[in-house]
Amino acid sequence: MRRPSAVVVATGVLFAAPLAALVVRAFADVWRAPALLPQRWGGRGFEAAFAGDDAIPALVASLGTGAATTTLALVIAWPAARVLGERRLHHPAPVFMLLAMPLLVPPYAVGLGLTEWFLRLGVTGTAAGLVLAHLAVVLPYTVLLLLSGFGPEIRGLEEMGRAAGLSGAERLRWVTVPALRPTLATAALVSFLVSWSQYGTSLAVAPEQPTLPVVLLPFVGADPQAAATLSLLFLAPAVLALLAAVRAMKAPA
Amino acid sequence: MLAPACIVLLLLFGGAVVGLVRSSLVTLGGAVSLDAWRGLLADPGFADAARFSVQVAVLSTVLAAAAGLVLAGLLRSRGTLPRAVLALPVPVPHLLVATSAVLWLGPGGLADRLLGALPLELIRDHGGLGIVAVYVYKEAPFLALLVLAACGQGLQAREEAATVLGATPWQRLRWVTWPAIRGPLLVGSIIVCAYAAGAFEVPLLVGPNSPPTLATFAFEATKTDVIAGQGTAAAALTLLSLFAIAIAALAVRFARDVEGA
Repeated sequence: MRRPSAVVVATGVLFAAPLAALVVRAFADVWRAPALLPQRWGGRGFEAAFAGDDAIPALVASLGTGAATTTLALVIAWPAARVLGERRLHHPAPVFMLLAMPLLVPPYAVGLGLTEWFLRLGVTGTAAGLVLAHLAVVLPYTVLLLLSGFGPEIRGLEEMGRAAGLSGAERLRWVTVPALRPTLATAALVSFLVSWSQYGTSLAVAPEQPTLPVVLLPFVGADPQAAATLSLLFLAPAVLALLAAVRAMKAPA
Repeated sequence: MLAPACIVLLLLFGGAVVGLVRSSLVTLGGAVSLDAWRGLLADPGFADAARFSVQVAVLSTVLAAAAGLVLAGLLRSRGTLPRAVLALPVPVPHLLVATSAVLWLGPGGLADRLLGALPLELIRDHGGLGIVAVYVYKEAPFLALLVLAACGQGLQAREEAATVLGATPWQRLRWVTWPAIRGPLLVGSIIVCAYAAGAFEVPLLVGPNSPPTLATFAFEATKTDVIAGQGTAAAALTLLSLFAIAIAALAVRFARDVEGA
């Protein structure tokens, strides 16, 4: 086996060390300067982070919003991704411009603009309001990722399924979804991550129903150990995403 | 088939834009007024915030693009592991990178402990260097991965062909490599610039109290004046959104001119 070069090791240290320090900080009950390692290890961070009434509901809100937004985004994005991926549109530019806009406009602006209507509809501060606001930001990512999976290969496989006498639902179940699985998994994971990371949007539309990032931020100044503990929870989906990406990179084409 | 996604986006995103502009023009009593805009443009704090936002966004983007190109160059001929390591910060939320930056670069932080006192106080730096550092750390790998994705086997074959035809390394870079990577680099840079101009969790954690970025300025306006602040925030965010869209339009126009040249 080839030994990793100095460049690879340096890149590894540069990008892994800052995040690894969060793990140490989360379990460091006492860590006074200038010591490089904590004077006392322990789980005070967990107690402090979950002592209030906010953290567990925020975790549940983040998970629920992420799951609901991802599911909705996949269902809504699927037909559009198919049309765009199979290049069936003669003039796709306006659609791509519409998809690009939410990536450019600040999330807090989207949230504040939606609040104007959500107040009238009575959905401000509700789970439905959070999901709708996240959907505005997540949907373009879902469409853009999903469209890369559609193309002549999938169409060919579906034709074979049709020739073999499979119904529409059977083709979807046994042909399309299995063939699209890697793209589908990536789109789902990224969509969930985009929703999971939303700060400005959530703060604007649902200040009364905080999500994990909204609860985490004030801890950074007030209690770094509790902040690091919540950070580890906040980091978990990103680590899963990375493991899945590495697996996909190693998989034979 | 496009209808569901387009209708949802037009309703939600279009509705958000209309709501934002409406908020800046219609008072709580329902009257149309330019007071929020007049107040905003007369506020010296707004000019400072706008200047600071543009400075942070442009500096972060330029440095992240340069660092991304260097990283892509260093890791281009290497295997899966270096790319996986490089991808590490990409899915990590900005808020976490900023949290980690406070832990490392704050007063008495790990960098201070490892290296002695740092020559620069990055966290809460008045020039926004802490914000720029977080964005460069987070976005340079993203841009490097976009560039690496464009450096596939097809490009390698074209580069080899250019060498066989007698091209110097500089000519190969100028006429073969750069045209292949500038598109993804530009698209990525637009996204980075728009994000750096508009997000506010990073400035809240590592930025100075004054000047704020435009997004922080808008957020603080809603906190300090619950009624009039909403209009001021909406007007500031409308301008910020226009800035992001204008940057994207200019970049696309510039790219087209270059392609046509």
